[in-house]
Amino acid sequence: MPPRRQPPPASGPWGPRPAVLLLAPLLLLTQQGVAAAPVGAEGPEDSPGLQDAEFPSGLLQQAARAALHFFNFRAGSPSALRVLAAVLEGRATVNPKKGCQVDLVFTTDHYNPEVGEEHLGKCSARVFFRNQKPRPAINVTCTRLIEKNKRQEEDYLLYKHMKQLKTPLDVTSIPDSHGHIDPSLRPIWDLAFLGSSYVMWEKTTQFLHYYMAQISSVNQWKTNDDTIDFDYTVLLHEFSTQEIIPCRIHLGWYPGKPLKVKYHCQELQTPEEASGTEEGSAVAPTELNNF
Amino acid sequence: MKWILFFGALIGLSVCGREKFFGDQVFRINVRNGDEISKLSQLVNSDNLKLNVWKSPSTFSRPVDVLVPSVSLQPVKSFLKSQGLEYSVTIKDLQALLDNEDEEMQHNEGQERSSNNFNYGAYHSLEAIYREMDSIAGDFPELATRVKIGHSFENRPMYVLKFSTAEGRQRRPAVWLNAGIHSREWISQATAIWTARKIASDYGKDPAITTILEKMDIFLLPVANPDGYVYTQTQNRLWRKTRSVNPGSPCIGADPNRNWNASFAGEGASDNPCSEIYHGPHANSEVEVKSVVDFIQEHGNFKCFIDLHSYSQLLMYPYGYTVKKAPDADELDEVARRAARALASLSGTTYQVGPTCTTVYPASGSSVDWAYDHDIKYAFTFELRDTGHYGFLLPANQIIPTAEETWLGLKTIMEHVRDNLY
Repeated sequence: MPPRRQPPPASGPWGPRPAVLLLAPLLLLTQQGVAAAPVGAEGPEDSPGLQDAEFPSGLLQQAARAALHFFNFRAGSPSALRVLAAVLEGRATVNPKKGCQVDLVFTTDHYNPEVGEEHLGKCSARVFFRNQKPRPAINVTCTRLIEKNKRQEEDYLLYKHMKQLKTPLDVTSIPDSHGHIDPSLRPIWDLAFLGSSYVMWEKTTQFLHYYMAQISSVNQWKTNDDTIDFDYTVLLHEFSTQEIIPCRIHLGWYPGKPLKVKYHCQELQTPEEASGTEEGSAVAPTELNNF
Repeated sequence: MKWILFFGALIGLSVCGREKFFGDQVFRINVRNGDEISKLSQLVNSDNLKLNVWKSPSTFSRPVDVLVPSVSLQPVKSFLKSQGLEYSVTIKDLQALLDNEDEEMQHNEGQERSSNNFNYGAYHSLEAIYREMDSIAGDFPELATRVKIGHSFENRPMYVLKFSTAEGRQRRPAVWLNAGIHSREWISQATAIWTARKIASDYGKDPAITTILEKMDIFLLPVANPDGYVYTQTQNRLWRKTRSVNPGSPCIGADPNRNWNASFAGEGASDNPCSEIYHGPHANSEVEVKSVVDFIQEHGNFKCFIDLHSYSQLLMYPYGYTVKKAPDADELDEVARRAARALASLSGTTYQVGPTCTTVYPASGSSVDWAYDHDIKYAFTFELRDTGHYGFLLPANQIIPTAEETWLGLKTIMEHVRDNLY
């Protein structure tokens, strides 16, 4: 998720990481409603419940990103996608055998940068990273960013717009090399991002986090029955390794209904290729599903 | 003619500053006689409608222009209708108009600064960038020269623009601006070429850059990885590394920002040629890196090294290869914070500041760490816009805003160097 981040705590040796960052709410009140801490702000260091373990810098950021991917996926609404604004507070506890649990509170903003309103949603989450295994377990609740009726209305407008697009879609990459997305194709990007959120949630660990770099191909765009059936390949950018990971995603969407997603990613180094399936909004165990 | 004074007083209430006018409209209202004037003044007088008179009539039968906030549109229209006042809407959305103007202005500003119709608000081919560098050198012969410092793996020239007001063979203290080392980070090359034109144009006009250039030389390398850049234009937009061949591996290229001799092959780099952060077979194995190293070492008097990357909106200083605090970390941190504030002052773009290792991730063999460890104290990395929404594929309409704000940050750093030469 594109974060508008707090500065990490002052550099120090690899040792006990500050587990609690308390940041004054004042820091939230910038012109754009973006709550990146102004340069120079730092939080007090406090580490209750923290065992002497190695934490990557920005563990709270990682947890927030994972939580938001999961939240976006579960909400199933391409017009109500959220992005991380700022982490307000958090604490982490480590079980060396099992993994790392992070409890945190953070604020969010609209994903779509054109929606310039200063509405900050607030979320609290519990994220459990399972010793560098994928699919962090997430419990997250957020305050309303958009009023429910308005969101449904927007979704339905998006849906109608998408139904009207000429098929097959005459498009290769979105955005193009110059970062341009034709306004008529913007809803496709948002829907693709929604589907990618599921994938990015599953793949985020304490150390790895992802951004959606580009839709590299649209394989299929069908709207026969009511559902929008979208089969596409997306390029995910993993930040710490700088790798670009192509993922083939197949989703089914109808406004108000849970998103259905199947995917298959090509991994560079690992022998196993990662893939998964999700139907409905329940957290189902992953099934290997090869295209 | 009391009403003239009345309206005159209202003009003084024109709204200045950075208020927004979404959906606000300008009505042109025809007033034909004193009776209509008094009806209109009734309307304008009502506090809650918050109307704003732009142009009052100096005689009868000239129209009045009134700015009507969007929330007052309905009541105003009803009133005008009920009073039989004729009007037309001359501006349907004031904010849209202002935004358009802004856009145009910026566009023109960018156009103006170019000769040869080089559009600074667009991404360009390697040839076009090289041509424009030549053009700048041609336009400012006393100040700028295009210098070949080496070649790439695929034998493309590596060109640097040297900005110098020094006489003869003086070897002034110098600043190195590095860009495009990771080819997919297009905003870096684009910002660099804009900056080149800016340095040249502003010398002699802007006191800051003028005094900087009186004391120091500036060397600007807009495309530190030409092969990679061409590859992103022709084959793979997201290519990062060089295009060198790795014997025994199907994978091409090394990460040129893991190839410098600063804790080479340490943490935060990979020994796998297929990795995006492959450090290469040995330090300076990449000819693109070696060319810069050789040039800087031969020169011997560099005081500042700034490397432009994207994305994340970060301004960082050494070290990347260790969490150990650099000896000058406090000073560098202070300078970086000032630079980030200057940058943010233009459009509110916020940058995080800190040492590389803990701000982004451990990275060994980086250019900035090498520079710092070779007595180039003022060593900084910029990660330019954005924070992940478009990432590497930053829309071209953000080039000039990015370059303009970055310029403020660069100047802050260079001014500090100018005032703290060692």
